[in-house]
Amino acid sequence: MNQVSPPLLQLQGISKSFGSLLALKDVNLTIQHYEIHGLLGGNGAGKTTLMNVLFGLYKPNAGQVILRGQPIHIQSPRDAIHYGIGMVHQHFLQVPHFTVVQNIVLGSRLRNRPTLNLTMATERIQDLCQRFGLEVDPNAHIIDLPMGVRQRVEILKALYRGVDVLILDEPTTNLTPQEVDSLFESLQRMVAEGMSVVFITHKLREVMQVCDTISVLRAGEHQLTLPRAQVSEELIVRTMVGSDIDLDDSILFAATAPPESASSLTGPPVLDIQGLTLSDERKIPQIEDVSLQVHAGEILGIAGVAGNGQQELLEAVLGIRTADGGQIRFQNQELGHCSTRDRLRQGIAYVPEDRVQDGILPTATIAQNLILGVHDRPPYSQRGILKWPIITQHAQHLIAKYHIQTQGAGQQAGNLSGGNLQRLILARALAQPIQLLLLHNPTSGLDIPTVEQIYRQIRQRRQEGLAILLVSDDLDELMLLSDRIAVLYRGALVGHLQQKDFDKYEIGRMMSGVYNHV
Amino acid sequence: MSEQSVVWRRQGLGSVFQALVPYIVAVIASFAAAGIVLAVMGYNVPRAYATILFTSFRTPNGIIQTLIKFVPLVLQALAFTIPLAAGKFNIGGEGQLIAGAIGATTVGIMLAGWPAPLLLPLVLLGGIVMGALWILLPAWLLYRFSINEILTTVLMNFVAFELIDYVATNIWPDPVAGHPTTIPIGAGGFLPRLIQQPPLHAGLLIAIFIAILVYFYTDHTSAGYELVATGANARASRVYGINVRSIFFLSLLLGGAIAGLSGAIEVAGVHHRLIAGIQSNFLLLGLIIGLIAKGNHLAVPFVAFFIAVLEVGASAMQRTLMIPGEMVFIVEAFILLFVLLSDVVRRR
Repeated sequence: MNQVSPPLLQLQGISKSFGSLLALKDVNLTIQHYEIHGLLGGNGAGKTTLMNVLFGLYKPNAGQVILRGQPIHIQSPRDAIHYGIGMVHQHFLQVPHFTVVQNIVLGSRLRNRPTLNLTMATERIQDLCQRFGLEVDPNAHIIDLPMGVRQRVEILKALYRGVDVLILDEPTTNLTPQEVDSLFESLQRMVAEGMSVVFITHKLREVMQVCDTISVLRAGEHQLTLPRAQVSEELIVRTMVGSDIDLDDSILFAATAPPESASSLTGPPVLDIQGLTLSDERKIPQIEDVSLQVHAGEILGIAGVAGNGQQELLEAVLGIRTADGGQIRFQNQELGHCSTRDRLRQGIAYVPEDRVQDGILPTATIAQNLILGVHDRPPYSQRGILKWPIITQHAQHLIAKYHIQTQGAGQQAGNLSGGNLQRLILARALAQPIQLLLLHNPTSGLDIPTVEQIYRQIRQRRQEGLAILLVSDDLDELMLLSDRIAVLYRGALVGHLQQKDFDKYEIGRMMSGVYNHV
Repeated sequence: MSEQSVVWRRQGLGSVFQALVPYIVAVIASFAAAGIVLAVMGYNVPRAYATILFTSFRTPNGIIQTLIKFVPLVLQALAFTIPLAAGKFNIGGEGQLIAGAIGATTVGIMLAGWPAPLLLPLVLLGGIVMGALWILLPAWLLYRFSINEILTTVLMNFVAFELIDYVATNIWPDPVAGHPTTIPIGAGGFLPRLIQQPPLHAGLLIAIFIAILVYFYTDHTSAGYELVATGANARASRVYGINVRSIFFLSLLLGGAIAGLSGAIEVAGVHHRLIAGIQSNFLLLGLIIGLIAKGNHLAVPFVAFFIAVLEVGASAMQRTLMIPGEMVFIVEAFILLFVLLSDVVRRR
């Protein structure tokens, strides 16, 4: 390597605003040759925005990009690829019914367009797979592949186009721990072959595991860039969260295991599911013979790769979906054909995964949203008449208690940010006397202080004796909060671990369907 | 919708005025745009607009004509906006109006000798029931098979056109009328007059009462909350325990009943008999009113009154200046376009 050669890629003075929001403020970032560069920050820190600027998806208000000492102008992803910059987004853009090869060549230059003979392409892809340790069957259809493999396809797309810099945006979100390890191995091989990798994440431990250099962004500003050897976990955490969080008291960054559950679990379970079976509208089985119990004062975590029946399980408990077989008992009462309304009335609350689609009335006010589901009960309505003064008061109380940032109860809920939406949904769930709380990915996409706040509320409610069913795609979250973890794979529970037996790799094996005992 | 009224309650008159600004701009802009068309066609624009805007207020007759026009307009608008609040589209208001008129006429003729205290309520009820029955099939098809209600409610209009012809020419035809018309209903079924000359019927009070009732229902009852919630996000409403399919069904039925009532009032208050063409263009104007008001049930009566002023002015303009009354339709269309446009502009 030549000492005087310029760095591979330099971003200089990049600023980007969306309306009045300044998403990036004068950010400088340098990517060296042959390195895995970790770009770390909480949600909303500007990591993805910065990389979207580099990839030509956003036009910066100010700043320039320098590639090997030469300033370049990237107007579109096409330009970016031309300059050897590839990006793998968090949400894949793939055609489900095409094969892997077809997806990879889609949009690339094809020499034999009329015949569409893909033999050469297939060979080249197989070669890439071998070189970088990305195990993929080029002729498989995307729809049949698990998330981890689909991501390899997305990486192959970039490699196939011959990139020097590969940007990965939160690549580990839907992966099992084993898949994460294998991804990291591939990244290291890419660097060995002369590439550089930018790895965007909010997960500290992954960065410490694999990155050569670490940069931290916070609130759109570049905080630091250091070689891994020179940073400690604590330094990174402090840089990521600033002074917003008291780290010694933090749940998210706690070094020790959570406290044992306060109440005894010997009593009858609050939620008792026996042999639940459920199919969707097309008669395809979604839940197969699931049995589980949640007791008062405990958090049962449900792990699993997204789309393995999590949503269906929760919706069955709520009565939104009708089970084909099995029993759901709540407080020793068979729920049977009890309506959703009655289930909520009996003391079940739900925090859905999709906040906007399932959680709120976007055009209604915050006050109206906060009584959704209890709108027909006193004191919010009496003899069918809404009591607006009480509803407004209730809303103002919850806005203050749960720190919902808004100008008032009369504001449209649709204008709230993701974190405030989640505070609203959680406030609504926790405002009523409930015995069972159903949570689905309660912190996905939220910034660190909000996550911390939500964890605190969940912990506190458990301490007060609430039974909580926590369904999450985030294994770290589950291990942090749960008293027990059950693993859902293709609609069936394939494993069950007590807190003392929690092991990331063991759970990972179960999540990918490899298990010994039920 | 009700969320706006909550905002209004909380923020007072200033924001009411702010909410009105785009409407005022839209009205001025549409008059300007239509004025260009009129000027090109060689008409006297200021006189035309003076006629449109002031006919309603210059003479007692003008005021009363406007109020008579207001009654079916506000009811047709509500027949559209109630299902709209739940996210469903009732485009069958005129079919339901006709069905309601037929129901009212049937009761009024068959029980012609009955005294007013009995007959009048039955005539109105006949209209309400027939209007609801006319939308029952679309509502059920939506409830049971999720069949798009826009299509079915429109198609039911065509059935109603044939039915009114049949009733007016075959069942109780008036032999001396040159147009498909039935014989009059019993005098006991006539709506009493609030003013004798020029005549103003008591349907006005019913329409105002219904408009207040609907506003109270959507903004101040938990049942109305479910309606608005379903319209705002049916999926979330279902997740939080609202039976949205029932809400869809109920909202359409209510809309049909109100449209049926408007038909009964036209019979009992204006014509005292069934006349083919009784539906006028109330459906279209009702849709325009509902859309300009953006489904806000506090605003619907005011918009309906404004449109009634334009309609009465249009007839006068046609009579005195020989300008086609359809010109006002163009103005109304412009207003709607500009109001919708103001939304787009504000979102930028």
